[in-house]
Amino acid sequence: MLQERPTTAQDPADARIELEGVTKRFLTPAGEPFTALYDVNLVVDPGQFCAIVGPTGCGKSTTLTLVSGLDRQSAGVVRVGGQPVDGIARGTSFVFQADALMPWKTVLGNVAMGPIFHGVPKKTAHIAARDWLRRVGLAGFENHHPHQLSGGMRKRVALASALINEPSILLMDEPFGALDVQTKAIMSNELLALWEQTRPSVIFVTHDLEEAIALADRVVVMTVGPGTVKDVYEIDLPRPRGAVQEIRFEPRFLELHQQIWESLRDEVERAYARMAGGSR
Amino acid sequence: MTSFALAETSIAEAARRRKRRRRALVWTARALTLLVILGGWEFFADKKIVDPFFYGQPSGIFDQLKKWVEHGTAYGSIWLQIWVTLKEALLGFVYGVAGGVVFGVALGQVRFLADVLGPYIKIVNALPRIVLGSIFFVAFGLGTTSKVLLASVLVFFVVFFNAFQGVREVDRNLVANARVLGASRWQVIRNVVLPSALVWIIASLHVAFGFSIIGAIVGEFLGAQKGLGLVIATSQNNFNPDGVFGAMVIIGVIALTAEAFIEQLERRLLAWRPPSPTESGLA
Repeated sequence: MLQERPTTAQDPADARIELEGVTKRFLTPAGEPFTALYDVNLVVDPGQFCAIVGPTGCGKSTTLTLVSGLDRQSAGVVRVGGQPVDGIARGTSFVFQADALMPWKTVLGNVAMGPIFHGVPKKTAHIAARDWLRRVGLAGFENHHPHQLSGGMRKRVALASALINEPSILLMDEPFGALDVQTKAIMSNELLALWEQTRPSVIFVTHDLEEAIALADRVVVMTVGPGTVKDVYEIDLPRPRGAVQEIRFEPRFLELHQQIWESLRDEVERAYARMAGGSR
Repeated sequence: MTSFALAETSIAEAARRRKRRRRALVWTARALTLLVILGGWEFFADKKIVDPFFYGQPSGIFDQLKKWVEHGTAYGSIWLQIWVTLKEALLGFVYGVAGGVVFGVALGQVRFLADVLGPYIKIVNALPRIVLGSIFFVAFGLGTTSKVLLASVLVFFVVFFNAFQGVREVDRNLVANARVLGASRWQVIRNVVLPSALVWIIASLHVAFGFSIIGAIVGEFLGAQKGLGLVIATSQNNFNPDGVFGAMVIIGVIALTAEAFIEQLERRLLAWRPPSPTESGLA
């Protein structure tokens, strides 16, 4: 990539994510062992936007919890910046699928949480939080509580509170899955604009292929559980991409969509057959 | 004004009127209820259909209260009795709540502790705790200590179970989010666990204050030199039901006042909550 890359808080080399032969097994509540991920190999280069697509229950979200250090793999190695992941590391931010805002804190209090947890004085943290709220277009809502905001606005707060820590790695688990189509498009554009400012490495989990292609540099297709990497596609659409609503009609986009869908379709059908009670 | 705006103001006006009328109706019905109960009691007691020797009489209760205010009780002024009982109840309440919250949060957070202590807490909770009053009386005597202890034991369990449950119900997502944002274990407790358990803890305070008064009164009943419980016990021994009911009225007023304070506290601490439709209907 020849574009100018503004420096992040961390050394950009710290932002490489590598998964090598990663397997994750759980015990189900009934005590049955269950393999969520099997032998996953994946590399995300520093500053790269990587989308993971796959049918429901293919271990996409599990991959994120392993990279974030919230959970540990059963086998294999997860490395961030060359170092094996051992617990939660500074420099990694996570945007959850569900609302993860503290309902009792104001919007400002929610965004300022990250710096305050890291020992930044409250006053300084609030100044930074105000700045981030302005960047996500929520100036004037500092003293609102989350329940007073719309779903899209709550997502903006979640984005601001993740980005205020100036992460070199941003993990997103279907962040816009619960939004309506129009709001989702607006949020995707804003996410790209914010990402271009600091260029963290991103893993963006979604089951929406169009969203994945419109946003990402690289799209990873995962198989239905136990999840493993099936195919990896480089998305060579030029950046900045502009409006995600319009890029969908470009010939190259359609071509890529056609290719990746070929690969994804089998997995979706298999997952559907399994859910509908079909045999393996 | 356009007809559109006019229509909107008239709707708002009508809603306000309806609300006012409803409130007046509710208060009238409340006053009538009280009148029927007290009037009926007085009337039947007068006609000796209900024997005032056993069941008292509203006018007698009123006279008794007047006498207490003017001449005091056998143990000093009525205000002193109220103060003594209130002090015991309040101290018991504070200790019980503090203990309940600390233990509830600790056991809710540390699974091992909960597994080890769980059965014992259930056993102690199953015992009739009022009996503990006798033990405290023997150990600590006639003073306030035994009453405060009994009140705090009663309060403790109510608050403890709610705090414990509240901690268990904390949204896993919120905890994960705080951890990823860099929160230490203590910061997670302070910023996520406590605030979300607070809804449960505060709900328990309403019941807990009632229990703290029960603890104080029963403690005084078992043996004391001052307090409303002693006043009740004396009235009982003198076959004076008006005295018993009079003390009950005083306790009722105290409990209602405390309830109002707790409601204020609840409103302030839980101001972040979205208004729920049931609550707005009750106000």
